[in-house]
Amino acid sequence: MTTASLNVPYVDIAGQHASIKEDLLSAISTVIDRGDFVLGAEVEELERRFADLCGVRFAVAVGSGADALTFALRALDVGPGDEVITAPNSFVASAACIAMVGATPVFSDVGADYNLDPALLEGAVTARTKAILPVHLTGRPADLDAIGAVARAHGLHVIEDAAQAVAAEYRGRRVGSLGTAGGFSLHPLKTLNACGDGGILTTNDEAVAERVRLLRNNGLATREDCRLWALNSRLDTIQAAMLLVKLRHLEAWTTARRRHAAYYQRELSNAAGIELPVDRPHEKAVYHTFVVQADRRDELKRYLGERGVGTSIHYPVPIHLTRAAAGLGYEAGRFAVAERQARRILSLPVYPDLREEQLAHVVGSVRSFYQRGS
Amino acid sequence: MRVPFSYLDRQFADVDAYLADLKAFVRTGDFTLGKPLTEFEQRFAALSGMPHAVGVASGTDAIILSLKIRGVGAGDEVITTPTTFIATVGAIAMTGARPVFVDSENGFVIDPEKIEAAITPRTKAIVPVHYTGNVADMPAIADIAARRRLLVIEDACQAIAAAIDGKPVGTWGATACFSLHPLKNLNVWSDGGLIVTRDGDLAAKLRLYRNHGLVGRDEVALFGHNSRLDTLQAVIGNRLIPTVPAITDRRIAYAGRYDRAFAELAPRVRVPIRRPGVKHVYHLYMLRVERRDALLAYLNERGVEAKVHYPIPVHLQAAAASLGYRRGDFPVSEADAACVITLPAHPYLTDAEVDYAIEQVRSFYA
Repeated sequence: MTTASLNVPYVDIAGQHASIKEDLLSAISTVIDRGDFVLGAEVEELERRFADLCGVRFAVAVGSGADALTFALRALDVGPGDEVITAPNSFVASAACIAMVGATPVFSDVGADYNLDPALLEGAVTARTKAILPVHLTGRPADLDAIGAVARAHGLHVIEDAAQAVAAEYRGRRVGSLGTAGGFSLHPLKTLNACGDGGILTTNDEAVAERVRLLRNNGLATREDCRLWALNSRLDTIQAAMLLVKLRHLEAWTTARRRHAAYYQRELSNAAGIELPVDRPHEKAVYHTFVVQADRRDELKRYLGERGVGTSIHYPVPIHLTRAAAGLGYEAGRFAVAERQARRILSLPVYPDLREEQLAHVVGSVRSFYQRGS
Repeated sequence: MRVPFSYLDRQFADVDAYLADLKAFVRTGDFTLGKPLTEFEQRFAALSGMPHAVGVASGTDAIILSLKIRGVGAGDEVITTPTTFIATVGAIAMTGARPVFVDSENGFVIDPEKIEAAITPRTKAIVPVHYTGNVADMPAIADIAARRRLLVIEDACQAIAAAIDGKPVGTWGATACFSLHPLKNLNVWSDGGLIVTRDGDLAAKLRLYRNHGLVGRDEVALFGHNSRLDTLQAVIGNRLIPTVPAITDRRIAYAGRYDRAFAELAPRVRVPIRRPGVKHVYHLYMLRVERRDALLAYLNERGVEAKVHYPIPVHLQAAAASLGYRRGDFPVSEADAACVITLPAHPYLTDAEVDYAIEQVRSFYA
């Protein structure tokens, strides 16, 4: 029973940073020596590199992924009286950013890939709809061709919530380049992670980029010229400096995540009791999370925990059933797919540093849970 | 001689201790709402003489969250002054409310005698700004607010450790909002802010509101913001916070040295009235001067990095066009925009540098 004593935490942020901390500290030192803590050189460099990574003309670094989405909405004049369609199974920020600009989040159910089901979108469009905000949940791109077709038919903007999907691809194009704008999170638990909050907006629309540059910086075109009322939401220079260090590792990290996912998919393909995520040929998922659907999910989660395997649930309560959404008038049963998934989903560890014996321990533990019966 | 406006190179000339703190911190991975942040909030609350402090992403966010959590939004009016950094007004506008201006007085803070005339049935709140580190006349403002049932949110972004008669900023408002921007009296290595309050329920709500409305990990009580002071910055803040009393004393001492020297240059140089009982913390040391632009150029040529905060009052900025104000609406604020100058007065200056700055001002008018 050597494997039974193996510890597999759900995430290991400290472990990720142990090997690169000297590089991170020297990156911080450089910023301190110059003292340009706000919108310094590294912010611009990160923006350039991130734009290249996504295949877009502009990237604007901001305080958080939520702010990136909020700014995209504001830059497109979405506000009170408007509706924005999004998925009910995301992290709450996807809907909150809509509410924070004064617009109304409107939910539409998802498909087996956990992303907006394009076939259902028409039913959510009203005369007030201004935009669709598809989420690339788990790091898998939503079906942007079909979603884009609905958007075009109704004259709607598409704002990609790419918070979990840095470097994910859809028909050979990177997410963040597929809509009017994309919002990414650089939160510590993301695949490209700051050591604090951070976000970045991508767009090919120069007017959107310029507006967001003003919106993140108190509306200031110069120190003395305030063009519009705005916020203060800038990615910290020292976070950008550390992200540039991490960007050098991103490809290897993403490859490792996808390798771990492939391992689970292979080793659990015929396992009873669980459904695995499916990769389709036209997409490259980056596996921010590896989400399975499990019979007797809560029991499995407890069992895995007892065997040292950390898991998580993303997310146990769909947004439309949270207290925050009470005023929106949705009832249980409204989004059958998302609600069923919420009862069944479980995220297995998939971070890059996982070792083979840890992965094997996860697989063995899942199998033994279902083999031993109830 | 050079008398720099920024002090970051002097303040952080020796960064080893900070980096050692960060090295230990990075290893923990405790980056979001971590333990050092909780510790920093407690220490900041103690410094501010308030029971609760909530770390947020910026001073601007501190104001936005304070207003929104108390229900200020579209259709409401919020009174403030055009003599401020534009973020005060941007914060009000970002809630959906309409900023309404009231002129400032001699100390660069809102004139309480002009507030009543600006109140309408739509007025929801007053945001006095403790601009430059001076404290607005809070007893008078609190009295108006109580009579007219208005919310008061103190913009204390420039006023860490300021007080009136020993009562700290935050005493009069529902909250006071602070900035930790790199050039503030207590600074971190990025944007950052804090909200202090006497109200424990309000503090608890703000903790939800800054963190996506999350109660624990899985329960969402309300749609909220993501506006958290980075824990990494709290590590820096924890190292710096014990220095605040000394930093503040030094700023006050240099301001006094300037005040005494410039008194004799009146009326070409006018020192603002220093209200008795006010602990002004001199985030900005501002004077009114004749031939301002010529003096500015003269000082800058001689190495004294004077600045102007700011040449255009907020109501005349492009952003304010839709509010419909015109030149002439706020005579004090407008006159100040044309004659104010800010001299370096930070604690990392030497006495000799301050005296050199004084000499240059004297020689300009000689």
